[in-house]
Amino acid sequence: MLKLAPRLLLLLSLGLPCGALAAEATAVVETLHAALLAAMKDAKTLGFKGRVAQLGPVLDSTFDFPAIAKVATGRHWQKMTEDQRQTFLQTFRDLSVATYADNFSDFGGEKFETLGHEQKKNAELVRTNIVTGEGKRVSLNYVLTRNNDDYRIVNVVAEGVSDLGLKRSEYDGIIASEGVDSLVAKLKAKVASYAASGK
Amino acid sequence: MPIQHTSDGPNTFAWNPDKMNKELVAKGLLSLSLATLLGGCASTAPSNPSDPWEKPNRAFYNFNDSLDRNFFTPVAKGYVWATPKPVRAGVTNAFENVNYLNVMANDLLQGKVSDFASDSGRFVVNSTVGLGGLFDPATKLGMPAHDEDLGQTLGKWGVGEGRYMVLPLMGPNSLRDLPNVASAMALNPLTYLNAVVTVPLGVINTINMRANLLEETNIRDQAALDPYTFVREAYRQQREFKIYDGNPPSESIDDYLDEPEATAAPAAAADESSVLKVY
Repeated sequence: MLKLAPRLLLLLSLGLPCGALAAEATAVVETLHAALLAAMKDAKTLGFKGRVAQLGPVLDSTFDFPAIAKVATGRHWQKMTEDQRQTFLQTFRDLSVATYADNFSDFGGEKFETLGHEQKKNAELVRTNIVTGEGKRVSLNYVLTRNNDDYRIVNVVAEGVSDLGLKRSEYDGIIASEGVDSLVAKLKAKVASYAASGK
Repeated sequence: MPIQHTSDGPNTFAWNPDKMNKELVAKGLLSLSLATLLGGCASTAPSNPSDPWEKPNRAFYNFNDSLDRNFFTPVAKGYVWATPKPVRAGVTNAFENVNYLNVMANDLLQGKVSDFASDSGRFVVNSTVGLGGLFDPATKLGMPAHDEDLGQTLGKWGVGEGRYMVLPLMGPNSLRDLPNVASAMALNPLTYLNAVVTVPLGVINTINMRANLLEETNIRDQAALDPYTFVREAYRQQREFKIYDGNPPSESIDDYLDEPEATAAPAAAADESSVLKVY
């Protein structure tokens, strides 16, 4: 049974006529949701590795990982070398995919409902709910920004808790006290632990 | 705001103080914690400007965490294993009901007249038809549960967080949210019963609440690189969400994406408390 709690914190870091853009942004979110549902339904046959392989490309195309990585490291991004940035970005992306693959590991009748969209300055906000098998609703809001030609997700806010906000706070503290390389090592350790315990 | 029967999320030690009758423990620990906090202030230079009491907070967080891992989590898991879900739901409902006068009072203080009417009805229906709160017929009758407390009321009136605090046993809190501990206790009928009754009830409530939060703490353990910061930020964001009933004031992500380096350092540091409530 897919746990309610993982949806409370979807742990991924997760200007034109409003109508057209909003439809695009909403479509991106719905693509993501469709992929998550597919992964949930086939979760057992795919296994962790299968879900990683299946969800990876979808996440790459619906999220804007470079933008997220930049915001997550905040003021430290400018001071990172190109190598560090690339390593961080890759590790961060792998962790995001692993987190989704781990959390969406079962299907208990969940559904996603798209509630609507709003334009906020240069970002689109798409409001959705995830409805558990028991009928409980958890609010999931996605923030998308325009990246070249399409809209990509830059933040997921679950019940008011901003995933990117959480990560940014954590990463800022760790980079400030231990440095970027230590943070990357910790992220890699997390990816490894997901892989080791993933089913 | 209407709650959809989710727990307090990552507010890991969310032993909603207003639901727990623990006068003696609370008095003793609050005085201990205040002494430590004030001592901590005097001697440490804050590394995070939005959390000046970080050092004692971390100490209490670690204390709570170790107590939790060694005692409360195993007990809660045993409780989950031994107790059928409907029974646990009944326990949860009963304690939420007994706390409901606090919700009603804060509805009034926030001027939420229709919520007050609905919540009064809910309290009456659940207490009577719902057999002392064990059952929850009110939700199906159109009176859903709301979540209001004095901290949210103060926030609505414009009071800022004050200081983030981690209290021993009670977990994440803040200067603004602290008064609710006292007011909720005062408005909880159980408080006025004999200790012979209230202490066992308090223990049951605590364990039941801990059990309700087991999944959330799993998430925290899996995901957090720095659990203290993780819980702090999640607590803060969730308080904002509750104060504004699901519609906190939004900030544009572009403000962060285009942050010029020169001003980024002080700005980023100062903004930690409102970091990315991006909507």
